Amino acid sequence: MGLAEAGLLTLSFIVPFLVVILGAPPYLAWLTRAGRVVDDAHKRPPTKVPSPTGPILFVAALAGEVVAYFAFGSLVPVAIAGAATVAFVVGITDDLFVLGGKTKPLLLLLAAAPIVLLVRFESSLYNPVLTFPLLGDTAPHLIIYTLLAIVAFPIVANAFNMMDSFNGQISWFTVLVSLALVFGISLHAAYTSGFSLSRLAVALPLVAVALGFLLFNRYPSRAFDGDSGSLMFGAMFAGLTITGGVEVAAMIAIVPAILNSFYTLSSVRGFVERRKMGARPTYLGDDGKLYATKDESAPTTLIRLILLGGAQDEKGLVRSVVILVAVSCLLSAVISVLTWAF
Amino acid sequence: MKLAPLIGIEVAAFVLIIIETYVFFNIVVPLGPIPHNLVEYTGYGLLKALLVVGLVAVWFLVMVELTRLYTRSQLSLSPRPAS
Repeated sequence: MGLAEAGLLTLSFIVPFLVVILGAPPYLAWLTRAGRVVDDAHKRPPTKVPSPTGPILFVAALAGEVVAYFAFGSLVPVAIAGAATVAFVVGITDDLFVLGGKTKPLLLLLAAAPIVLLVRFESSLYNPVLTFPLLGDTAPHLIIYTLLAIVAFPIVANAFNMMDSFNGQISWFTVLVSLALVFGISLHAAYTSGFSLSRLAVALPLVAVALGFLLFNRYPSRAFDGDSGSLMFGAMFAGLTITGGVEVAAMIAIVPAILNSFYTLSSVRGFVERRKMGARPTYLGDDGKLYATKDESAPTTLIRLILLGGAQDEKGLVRSVVILVAVSCLLSAVISVLTWAF
Repeated sequence: MKLAPLIGIEVAAFVLIIIETYVFFNIVVPLGPIPHNLVEYTGYGLLKALLVVGLVAVWFLVMVELTRLYTRSQLSLSPRPAS
């Protein structure tokens, strides 16, 4: 990698990071003035936090993809920006009007459209094979791979959305899994001839936006992203996984989120909007600590599983989530090394 | 460490993916002779697709059982608090 390319990669990280850092304070102040604040329900008494921060995160991600487009001239940033746009529109609609439990995943299928349509103009946009550690590539299956890619968008975006419950949870999660993704894509680029650095450049805005948002979202939160932020993060992650050709490593990285959404869906038997769930999986005690609901009919979530080991305050709980995600990201890194470096 | 059982479930998910990948490449993919007519070709295709669905189902079932085991053990250990 030359100095010019390194500079362009740095730029695709710095620009979205600065947009969040510099844009969020005035935007949050405006949200507060406009009365767009929600209860931070896990505090006693509940505090008010501006929400949704999704729009400023979206602008930042878009800025990063524009830089990547002009720096490397590929359609990959356009596809990722397109997926992010669709997920953002679905998310902001949900933030403002509340969509049904089944409507959201159906609309999120559209997030795959930019990638599926743009591959007609740039055939290398994605390679319809799965690359497994040590064992190599499957045979190319354009139709099967494309169908799986389309289905992946609502699954991954919802998995991200379900990791957005506590102060700093979604931002820490996105930072860690996107770093695992960038590591996998870097190794892919380093060990595969003809694999463009543009794939790395389009992934950096996700890390940058999540890192910038972490400064506002960490405990005690000064900003919530809303569904517009978490669904956009998920759609970008799915798109980057497909264009980066790191499907197995990415799946390992988000195992805690996949298990979390699978447990929730299987225990509530279907897509149910979280505001409409019957028994809550956890509750806030009078001592300010979070407890797992002992009722066996309560939905099984990752948070409830952690709290079954003992009550925790919100900060400790998010630390536990971060540890679990960090472990899965380390395993993902092992997969990336076994896939590309051997 | 309280998180050890959950980390164990994560590692089990990881190991199972590796094992199932090996099964996929070494048993499912090379399964059967190369078919010469459309009926056989479709039959082998469907069989392979079913086996892949089976591998995914096994992964989810193992995860669900491990989680259920963990949940029950924790619920039986902890006293029922007044909520």
